[in-house]
Amino acid sequence: MLSVWFASGLFLRVLSPFEVLTMHTKKSQGDQGALRRFHGSPGCYKSQPVPTDPGEEHEDRIKKDKSLITHDDLFERVAREAKTKATFNRVVDVFSKRDIRRRGHVEFIYAALKKMPEFGVERDLTVYNKLLDVFPKEVFVPRNFIQRMFNHYPRQQECGVQLLEQMENYGIMPNVESKVLIVQIFGDKSHPMRKYQRIMYWFPKFKHANPFPVPLQLPEDPVDLARLSLNRIANDLDAKVTVYQMPCTDISESGEEITFPHVVGIQSPDQMELLAKHNPNRPVFVEGPFPLWLRKICVYYYILRADPLPPEEKVEDSYDPERCFDYPLQLDLDLDRDMGDDDSFDVEDVDEGPVFAMCMTSQGDQATLNQWISGLQETNPTLGRVPTLFRLEAGPRELQGVADPGPGYREEGEEEAETDIVVEEEHQRSQGVKQ
Amino acid sequence: MNINRLIALSKSVQFGKILTSNARHATKEVNLPHRTIRTHARNLAYAKDLFLGKVNKAECFPYPEIGNEELEEINSFVAPVEKFFTEEVDSKRIDHEAKIPPETLNGLKELGLFGIQVPEEYGGLGLSNTMYARLGEIISLDGSIAVTLAAHQAIGLKGILIAGSEEQKAKYLPKLASGEHVAAFCLTEPGSGSDAASIQTKATLSEDRKTYLLNGSKIWISNGGFADLMTVFARTEVVGEDGVKKDKITAFIVERAFGGITSGKPEDKLGIRGSNTCEVSFDNCPVPVENVIGEVGGGFKVAMNILNSGRFSMGSAGSGMIKKLIEMTAEYAGSRKQFGKNLSEFGMIQEKFAVMAQNAFVMESMAYLTAGMMDRPGVPDCSLEAAMVKVSDLLPIGCLIVVCVVVSKLNDGIGVLIGYAVVGEQGVQERTKHTPLRCPSVEDQRGGCVVAYPTPTLTNVFSSEGGWICVSEALQVLGGLGYTKNYPYERYLRDCRILLIFEGTNEILRMYIALTGMQYAGKILTGKIKEMKKGNVGVAFEMLGRKLGDALGRKVDLGLTGMDGVVHPGLADSAKKLEQNVAHFGSTVENLLYRYGKTIVEEQLILKRVADVLINLYAMTAVLSRSSRSISIGLRNHDHEVLLANTFCTDAFFKNNYWLTQLQRNSPENQDENIKKIAREVLEKRTYVCSHPLDRTF
Repeated sequence: MLSVWFASGLFLRVLSPFEVLTMHTKKSQGDQGALRRFHGSPGCYKSQPVPTDPGEEHEDRIKKDKSLITHDDLFERVAREAKTKATFNRVVDVFSKRDIRRRGHVEFIYAALKKMPEFGVERDLTVYNKLLDVFPKEVFVPRNFIQRMFNHYPRQQECGVQLLEQMENYGIMPNVESKVLIVQIFGDKSHPMRKYQRIMYWFPKFKHANPFPVPLQLPEDPVDLARLSLNRIANDLDAKVTVYQMPCTDISESGEEITFPHVVGIQSPDQMELLAKHNPNRPVFVEGPFPLWLRKICVYYYILRADPLPPEEKVEDSYDPERCFDYPLQLDLDLDRDMGDDDSFDVEDVDEGPVFAMCMTSQGDQATLNQWISGLQETNPTLGRVPTLFRLEAGPRELQGVADPGPGYREEGEEEAETDIVVEEEHQRSQGVKQ
Repeated sequence: MNINRLIALSKSVQFGKILTSNARHATKEVNLPHRTIRTHARNLAYAKDLFLGKVNKAECFPYPEIGNEELEEINSFVAPVEKFFTEEVDSKRIDHEAKIPPETLNGLKELGLFGIQVPEEYGGLGLSNTMYARLGEIISLDGSIAVTLAAHQAIGLKGILIAGSEEQKAKYLPKLASGEHVAAFCLTEPGSGSDAASIQTKATLSEDRKTYLLNGSKIWISNGGFADLMTVFARTEVVGEDGVKKDKITAFIVERAFGGITSGKPEDKLGIRGSNTCEVSFDNCPVPVENVIGEVGGGFKVAMNILNSGRFSMGSAGSGMIKKLIEMTAEYAGSRKQFGKNLSEFGMIQEKFAVMAQNAFVMESMAYLTAGMMDRPGVPDCSLEAAMVKVSDLLPIGCLIVVCVVVSKLNDGIGVLIGYAVVGEQGVQERTKHTPLRCPSVEDQRGGCVVAYPTPTLTNVFSSEGGWICVSEALQVLGGLGYTKNYPYERYLRDCRILLIFEGTNEILRMYIALTGMQYAGKILTGKIKEMKKGNVGVAFEMLGRKLGDALGRKVDLGLTGMDGVVHPGLADSAKKLEQNVAHFGSTVENLLYRYGKTIVEEQLILKRVADVLINLYAMTAVLSRSSRSISIGLRNHDHEVLLANTFCTDAFFKNNYWLTQLQRNSPENQDENIKKIAREVLEKRTYVCSHPLDRTF
């Protein structure tokens, strides 16, 4: 038996996982030789950040080529075909089946952890469990007190911890299956087990700590996204979202394609009341765009606001003794609250002007925003009498790193500020414009 | 001896001093001291004095009685009404059909129940408050009829009665009293009930200045569907003293015959289904100028007076209903067997009857004490002599001092302001006016005048809540049967729920009770508290000494028992409890004023407790007074009354103590901060905040 094992091990060692894979995929392969199968120290893989920049990744690869690690390649090859969960799982399967002793599994797991975001499986618990399953079972469980006392199989334990750490970073909570695996692999008092326990202690506690959670899946439709974002900013349950214009494309008489941007606004009854009370001689301003980050997406919004009332125009609501039929609304006493019972804080209030409404649009030029204002006029007749000034900035430009004249006031008809909902899209479009 | 009068006299002496010290300007008013204007000093200030920790025993002791002739008169009124209600009124049908049949209404009219308090010269019965209360006990056996009648006369025609001119009275009251015309009270508008700012109905004067055109709509108008006459409140443009045009509220008498009035569909209500409640809209309804009640722009006061006086109508309603319920339920409990025992042998059932009896007893005592106080004949001589209620030491020296004189006619708790003197730098100007005014409003306007206090309101809050509890307990005795429509309990339950809501919700009434008293106590205590805050050692020591005394268990003696006692010795223990509570209450009020000052208006949870304690104190007084009288004159079953009184007083004593403890600073019993926080978090999200108990996080 032993010899058979050994032989098969040998055989498998000769075949690289990549080759096994190509046997499945029946594709012609490169010239990766058997020499590359030699495993070196994986120490350099510890807690490497997930590369995001392609250039950096390239450098990484060069470094790796110099080293003797090859598991990366395994994923690289597969990646050429398709970066999906299925292919990722296949790679893991191939590795697991190749060698009963799972030789080089620590290196493999490090490599796999690094590649997970590329395959889009970095938030998939089953994949993490599958990776954990790569560890051979019961081998690293300490059997006596001395083993238990000292760090038993430190490299393996560290790798396990690293795996859990990555889960933690992506906010993935292990489940019972992970726990069973960890117990089987490292025993119930091991470092990975402790890590698991810590995660299980803190994660549930923090899960709902955010009182304003952003949904994991943001809506794709820009109108829905605007609705969600505006409701988030307004934070008033009475506020009503109005879609002033749905996004659509139309072909004009001259054959040109005209796209109408979406215009979505929000206003609460309180804001309407404030606007109704606004002195029509004082202008109101449309300002923006202001950024709002939702997970990885940045959206921009505009506000309609006025300057704070100058002190001389402020009218104190005077007490009307003929207001309440049933009881006095104020006592006619010359006594104030005692200092010991005055729980209010001494806060210096900065006088800010009222914000009357907010809106989001994919195109922040004045023409589009005018549509919003005229839409608002239907419910706020005062707006018709109030001068409206547009103070628009070229907000999103700065984020792209494109040469920008800098924030400042723009005049009518000037180049509009690009305010796309998704930065990446914006990026592409501005490139297209340049071309 | 009349304590109020003493206070007033001592103050008038001070007043004289102030005047002489200001003699530079006040040389001309030498005749003022002679002109000691008398108010009805014994007016309903009992409850207010409680805020100062005083018991004005002359006010409530002995329990008011009526003469034998009057008693006979009442009984002669009551007997046919009772007969009518037991034989002719089919409450079940009224409830089911949501309509009072015309023959029932005619019967009520024939009995004169549409003009109970309208003076005889206008064709009404002209009954006193006590008699009204007695009739109310019977009328309340049917909630729909009670509300219809109350809407007609407690508020509907009250405007004409208390503020109308002679011509208006002569023109309208006879027909209203006979029931030929039914009245309604149109104040509430979409918006809110107590907020005058929500009134949007407009009355615009026509070009010839002879008619007003009414435009707008009113909601929840009882009798609105068929009322022939309405008291309507609308905004009119009034040019103020400073020449600025202002919208002020004015009261109008509007006949349906004027045209332009439409009534909406009757509301489908939970209880009092037979009464008619609907929306009334006015579309260019022409109202002649002479139909303005009181002055143009004076509608706010009229409305306030009507509402305040209207509250009394429900005082005795609860007790009448509960007495009836006790009879019905006791019958059942005595006959129904369970496990071979009568229901009446089970302790938990017995407790319910005790609760009902006690509540009925307390309500009755409060209602008739209040009615008696309101009926008590005023000052024998209404001319301008007698003690003066004075406010000089409450106002900064040198400013305008207004002396109010209120002679209570006290027919319905309405005082008639017969004159007031204005003492200013130019001396005394005396003016006389014959504007009937509800006393609290006089006070509100003039600041610090010691006048009537709303004891009816106290009774009202207690009865409505007690009534609700009792009906619910009675229903409980019958269990499932009570829940069916075969028995009248469910109807009573539905009907009496309205008592907590209309004529000012109990929350609003509590604010009124507490704030009126706080205003009164505040006026008197301001000087002392200011001294204390300034660090006046004398005042501080006095406070400290009193606190020390309280801590050492010094006996409070306010004179209810002992040598000059007014309470029967059999009730001495309860009277001591009352005294102790009153003293504690007085110091608590002082402490609250010290801590919160005028910002106490914002502290509704505190005010609620203050009102609750005050209601209990007044209730204790009422039962003590009533049962003392019962023992003394040997009424039948007076020992039962004593038992009820002692039980109630002990119960109320501990409740009061608990509430007063909660009112102390940093009291661990006080959960207000948490309560507010819970409410804030729930209201912020506008939903129940907690996760479901079955939810998990992993």
